[in-house]
Amino acid sequence: MTSAASGSSGSSRSLALVALFAALLAVFGMIPKIDLPFGVPITIQTLGVMLAGCLLGPKRAFLSIALFMVALAFGLPLLSGGRGGLAVFVAPSSGFLIGWLFGAVTAGAVMWSLPGSSPRALALRALLASFVGGIVVVYAFGIAGLVLLAKLSPWQALVAPMAFVPGDLVKCVLCAGLVHTVARGVPDWGFGGRRAA
Amino acid sequence: MRSLYSERKTWLHAVPAWAKLLAVAVLGTAFFMVDAPWWLAAGTLSVVLAFASLGRATRPARRLVISIAIVGLMIAGFHAWMDQPIVGVVSAMRLTSACLLGAMLTLTTRFDELLSVFETVLAPLEKLGVNTSRLALSLGLMLRFTEHFFMQWRRLDDAHRARTGRAGGLKLLAPLTIRMLLTARRVGDALAARLGQ
Repeated sequence: MTSAASGSSGSSRSLALVALFAALLAVFGMIPKIDLPFGVPITIQTLGVMLAGCLLGPKRAFLSIALFMVALAFGLPLLSGGRGGLAVFVAPSSGFLIGWLFGAVTAGAVMWSLPGSSPRALALRALLASFVGGIVVVYAFGIAGLVLLAKLSPWQALVAPMAFVPGDLVKCVLCAGLVHTVARGVPDWGFGGRRAA
Repeated sequence: MRSLYSERKTWLHAVPAWAKLLAVAVLGTAFFMVDAPWWLAAGTLSVVLAFASLGRATRPARRLVISIAIVGLMIAGFHAWMDQPIVGVVSAMRLTSACLLGAMLTLTTRFDELLSVFETVLAPLEKLGVNTSRLALSLGLMLRFTEHFFMQWRRLDDAHRARTGRAGGLKLLAPLTIRMLLTARRVGDALAARLGQ
């Protein structure tokens, strides 16, 4: 599959990919959620964040999460459990939502900077990228949000979301597995935004 | 795509979208700036009354309202348990009013009305080189792709059933991922051909 379009974010292919991953987040949102206390739901939407970072690279991953958020702000009920509208940006869990933007960028940057291009190496890169971006960065923003918006003490805010970490580790493994699949199925894919995708 | 929008006309439907958006932004900020519990209580009460005045038009948001109430009660209860009941009540009131304001906007404003407000708001960015019509195109593509995910899944599932007589389940994840990525590439190339970029 030769590419006429360049890998820059201005190309039409980028536009389609950005829209595709925003749609993926929306699809993941239609899977019912489970709520834990403090209004932070368990959702597989963070898997979409990790995948966007690993498959699109930092810039387009950011754009795709941002596009998803524009649609959310317009009132489409795209977050898991059918939440949407401007309200979600001031809810106690909104720190996690903002964290998605930077988590996706970080995952993309880590994916981009690590070496190795065999399917197995790519899967390992994705495992590390999704852990750093999808867990470390997203949780940092989420915990800050809980402190600022739900008025929890930093210690409470740190402990409360720890219940989600095992589930998120499973998502990292899933993300690595999907990257492995894509590496074998679409060998010319530009992981982490390398060259044209 | 189902949105939270309610077809049942209310007084708030007649208010222009830009005014509602502005009101939500200003009031939402005000609720976060005010600390005095009595002022907050008065403000929250008037938001609740305004929300209730929409009557049966609020039905699509019923689940949202229930979850807001539960989260509000949890926050209040948690802080009461931590011996700081006032802090709990204040954050619960902020949360309730902000969420209800957002829900009111979403319930009474159509997607395209909001879109045109955003296009107007974004118009100055056009001069800085941001392509606002491209943003609208991405939003449209995103919604189409969301449907497409389900269509592709059904097609793959049908094929799997025809071969094995059983539902495909998670086995379909790999082919679905690859198909969707290739679809996005094709759409991108088609767009490039049409837009010439």
